[in-house]
Amino acid sequence: MYFSALLYPCILAMLSLVHGIPIHSDSLKNLVKLQADTIIIRIKDHNAELKLYPKLLIGDPELYPEVPADKPIQGLGSIMDTITTFQKVLQRLPKGRVSQIHIDLSTLLGHLKERMTSMHCTSKEPANGRALDAFLEDNATHHITVRYLALDRLKQFMQKLIVNLDQLKSC
Amino acid sequence: MLALLVNFITISQGLAALSPSDGRGGIYEDLKWKALLCCELPFAQTLDDGLSEHPPVGQCQLLNATKPESSSKSPTLSGNCLDILCWLEGEQTNLICNAKSHRAAAAASLFAVRPQLVVQMNVLSDEANHAAQCAGEDTAMCSISLHGNDATVSLNISISLNGSTALSPKMQVSTHHLRRPEPPVNLHYNVTTEGEVIFRWSDAQPNSDAINFEIRYASNSSLQQWEVVKVKGRSWVSLNELSSGIRYMVQVRCQSHINYWSEWSQPFYFTLGVSYIPAEIFTTPGSEVTIYAVFHNRSWSASKAVWMLNGQVKIPESQYRVINEQVSAVTVTVDEPGFDTLMCCHQWGERFKCIIAYAKIYTEGMFNADFTCQSKNSEVDTMSCEWNKSAWAQVRLLYRQYTSMCETISEMEGSEEAEENMECPSGAGDHRECTLRNLSLFSCYKIWLEVEGGRGKVRSFPVYVAPIDYVKPSPPSVLEATTLPNKILSVSWSRPRLPVYDMQYELRFVALREMANTQWKVIGPLLEPQAEIQLKESCIQFKVEVRCRRLNGSGYWSDWSMSYTSVVYNSKAPEMGPDFWRVIEEHPVRSVTNVTLIIKQPVLAGDPYSCVEGLVIEHRASGRAVWSNETTLAQFHSFQWRKEAHTVTVMSRNALGISTQNRNMTLSHQPKRRCVRSFSAVANSSCVYLSWSLLSDHPVPQSFVIEWLDLKKDPEQDVSLTERLQWVRVQSASRDLSLCRRFYGSEEFTLYPVFVDGEGEPVRYTATRGDPAAYILLLIIAFLSVVLFVTLLMSQNQMRKLMWKDVPNPNKCSWAKGMDFRQINTIENLFPHSEGLTACPLLLVSESICEVEIIEKTHPVTLEHEQDNEVPIYKSGNKTATDSALLADSSEPLSLEASTAAATPETSGQSSVTYSTVLRSDQPSLLRKQQESLSSSSDEGNFSANNSEISGSFPGGLWDLENHVCSDSANPRHSSSYNSVEEFSETSDQDYEASESTGVAKDLYYLEVNEEEEEEDEEEIEETQSEQENNEIVMKVDARPLLEGKKSTAVDSSVSHSIPLYLPQFRTECINPP
Repeated sequence: MYFSALLYPCILAMLSLVHGIPIHSDSLKNLVKLQADTIIIRIKDHNAELKLYPKLLIGDPELYPEVPADKPIQGLGSIMDTITTFQKVLQRLPKGRVSQIHIDLSTLLGHLKERMTSMHCTSKEPANGRALDAFLEDNATHHITVRYLALDRLKQFMQKLIVNLDQLKSC
Repeated sequence: MLALLVNFITISQGLAALSPSDGRGGIYEDLKWKALLCCELPFAQTLDDGLSEHPPVGQCQLLNATKPESSSKSPTLSGNCLDILCWLEGEQTNLICNAKSHRAAAAASLFAVRPQLVVQMNVLSDEANHAAQCAGEDTAMCSISLHGNDATVSLNISISLNGSTALSPKMQVSTHHLRRPEPPVNLHYNVTTEGEVIFRWSDAQPNSDAINFEIRYASNSSLQQWEVVKVKGRSWVSLNELSSGIRYMVQVRCQSHINYWSEWSQPFYFTLGVSYIPAEIFTTPGSEVTIYAVFHNRSWSASKAVWMLNGQVKIPESQYRVINEQVSAVTVTVDEPGFDTLMCCHQWGERFKCIIAYAKIYTEGMFNADFTCQSKNSEVDTMSCEWNKSAWAQVRLLYRQYTSMCETISEMEGSEEAEENMECPSGAGDHRECTLRNLSLFSCYKIWLEVEGGRGKVRSFPVYVAPIDYVKPSPPSVLEATTLPNKILSVSWSRPRLPVYDMQYELRFVALREMANTQWKVIGPLLEPQAEIQLKESCIQFKVEVRCRRLNGSGYWSDWSMSYTSVVYNSKAPEMGPDFWRVIEEHPVRSVTNVTLIIKQPVLAGDPYSCVEGLVIEHRASGRAVWSNETTLAQFHSFQWRKEAHTVTVMSRNALGISTQNRNMTLSHQPKRRCVRSFSAVANSSCVYLSWSLLSDHPVPQSFVIEWLDLKKDPEQDVSLTERLQWVRVQSASRDLSLCRRFYGSEEFTLYPVFVDGEGEPVRYTATRGDPAAYILLLIIAFLSVVLFVTLLMSQNQMRKLMWKDVPNPNKCSWAKGMDFRQINTIENLFPHSEGLTACPLLLVSESICEVEIIEKTHPVTLEHEQDNEVPIYKSGNKTATDSALLADSSEPLSLEASTAAATPETSGQSSVTYSTVLRSDQPSLLRKQQESLSSSSDEGNFSANNSEISGSFPGGLWDLENHVCSDSANPRHSSSYNSVEEFSETSDQDYEASESTGVAKDLYYLEVNEEEEEEDEEEIEETQSEQENNEIVMKVDARPLLEGKKSTAVDSSVSHSIPLYLPQFRTECINPP
């Protein structure tokens, strides 16, 4: 009787260890915040080089829905989904200094993927893959503005992510 | 046995020989060729046919395949008909033909035994050089490979029955008509400069006979709702119903002349936003370029177009042109070769909305890329080049290696020695730098940029670089530095092994203790890898760094080497430990006492052969516990004290040992002995003199420590107590001390007697001193006050003289003869006309000789206006400033013209009388002035400033406006008191006459004030009302003759100017309120 009473808590403790999260929640939050801040700084530097006229507004949020704009953050899945889309965009752009941001995004995705695995979250494919491909194909000759648009929206998403780091705790 | 032989012979004759609609005996239907062949066989002869040498030959006829029933009922050909069918199979590479007799179908249905019909078919294709032959009873099927090409295939059929044979006429099948037409290809769209969107396509095959087309489109999200447009006879169509911002899918198909529709073409996706015509353009520097932009968004208007060059510069609107509502054009001239972009945006409030499309302008020629290269000679030679370019341009860095020197490279341009172009490993992109590896430092490299998409016509000027000239060497290594006792810093280092050319060096150093505000001192260039630097002090550790570069020729300085801290050379251990004091802080919460040692620093400069490199702090607690800490030359050292006897010793140390003469401090919690009898401090502006005396029967302390807090350091700025505490140690024999530094005068000095076994009871004294600056300031203020007061008095006198010089002296008036104004206390005394005073105390009867006349204009009988009229006269002196201010606000200010005099002929003899004219003002503000004046009637007024300066004390309120309403004058000694300070200077008659001759119509108020009262009045300026009443300032006016000479009647203002102007004339108008 007493043996079983002791056994169950022990089993539960063992299970919790087995399914333990490799990266502590706060550690991941700090790591994601650091990476997001880094990406934001890089984007700011990159877009500042264009020295665009201050009144210029390239791409309304309602235009080009293929590139996520102001997408809500609802758990790890949505974060992964959005970042994957941005990564695809960057991947299709010509080589250059944006490559570093692409690498940063890949690293961030890696951390999030690990987190999803540890939380047993199911990942899904981005829904607008074909539309995104078509968009990138159509605008392949205007990659400067496409890159500006994508990076600007990525920056906004990173800023949103920083204030919604608690969403990393849910799938 | 009846035998029937059918032979098919197919001969290819080419495509051109056959009309598409004419299947030469057959028809094309549903991608098949069909024919009906009926043959007449000499049936009767067939019985003996086997013995015949030449079998009989029948006749065959191709009937209309579309009506086989009627044909098969032909009486002559019945029973020997064949259905022939040809089609393509196997991805349309094989032609299949099948011939089937009607007899076969009949036999199957009747189960009757009939003679066999043998069908033989020959198929021949010349293009494919293939032939096929097949035979069978009642049916035959042949297949021939065409290798995917169209061909015209000939076929022959022979049928045999019972020895009789019949041959078919020539039949031809065009495989072209057995296929669907290929769908059109190369579907795309153009936008015209008028804004039309035109879709175009091409036929898949060059000789396509397609005439009719259909184009369909739908938005990508709703592919079920196609819009279909039919096109005939042309391969383009204009679609103008498309919306912007929607992603469309569009397809096209064609119809052959035999009505076969092709499949739909490959989908073409597009989204309309802003189209540029042309989308990219090549031009030359200085040429004009015109670009059109079509707004597909109908809500955007070309009149609101804004063109941007490279997204940075707004092109002036003068260069725009509105083609129509949706099309704008701009003409620009690009002067420099390179790459530029144009964006046409739409003005939206303050901002410009743009989409991501832009037009590209390639200006042919060479641009300056401003290359900067830097090479590195190490295990793998590398060279990194940076350049400037437009942020919008994607570039490729190309380079070419030459084996000769760069100086001669221009002559070798295009020679065989040059190797082929190579490209930066990073490829095309928006790079701004590229690192080339595995290159030879001693080669010459030609480097240039090409703008991606510029077709090689837009490129930068090439630069010719010999990497050896741009080497940034590795920094020197193996630094060694020693601070020697002879005040020399000796430094040596090793140069990098590569590159091998001669080097020059720069050295920089800074004292280690000054690292907080690092000010490097740089020495160089040095030609040897060593240096000796003369110092001002010994015993100081330095941080040293070195860098190098090529001695002769170009190149870059290396980075600074790793820092190296110099070693201080010592020949012996230090002798003395530093002096120190302590700060004891008790933590109220944790019950912990922190002790911080404040260590004097002069130990640094000591014997150059025994420099101090650090400290050793030794603790001895009760119970003989001993421990020590080794620190650097710190100024503070903290530890926790447990309130037990604790002895601390601070020792100096260097590499050779620790000091032997050290100071101890014993901390004890026991009651402290008292040995100081007195302690005092005297401070002046810069020094504090401290003195003390000891009790006679106590042992003399080992030393004294005087501490105080530096008030200059603000505790609110996180300056700790330890940093604020100042202290000085005094020898035991001293009984006084002079501290000269900046003191604030409120420091508290504490004197600690220090004994061998601990501290004695401290004594405190606060040195206070006044701030001399404050005293000086106070003196200055007092002095200025006096000066101001005197100035005011003098100016007042001057003003009075100026203002009153024209006022007549009442003593000179006839009515005032014999009057002593000092003794007149009441108005009754002055003007004993009781009824007049009762009715209207201010109403005085004009005296024929001299009168003061107060004349008021008649106004609508409102009380306030009446008051207004009288106000100027009754202002009290210390209200002047206020009133003046009020007057200043008034649009019609009250004015008093002292020089405007009026006199009657009767008074002409009084040549010493002048007049003051008081001009009335109807401004409402005067009412306020009056009220203020009245309410502060205790003031002894000077009527100054711009107005009359009427002074004098008028008992009974002669001019008291509270009486102007002719109410009771019960208080004859009303509070108004007017100082008479001005002398009545008497002026000439000319003024008087002049005034009269001009017929001055102004209201005149003549006041007479005794000049003798002047000085008294001045003294009474600040006195209170009660004082005024007692301090009589008497106006010497004899009212009696005045009242006797004139009846006490009100004087209408309308006749005021005609009143004989006897002075003084006091006249007021009394208006009873309704």
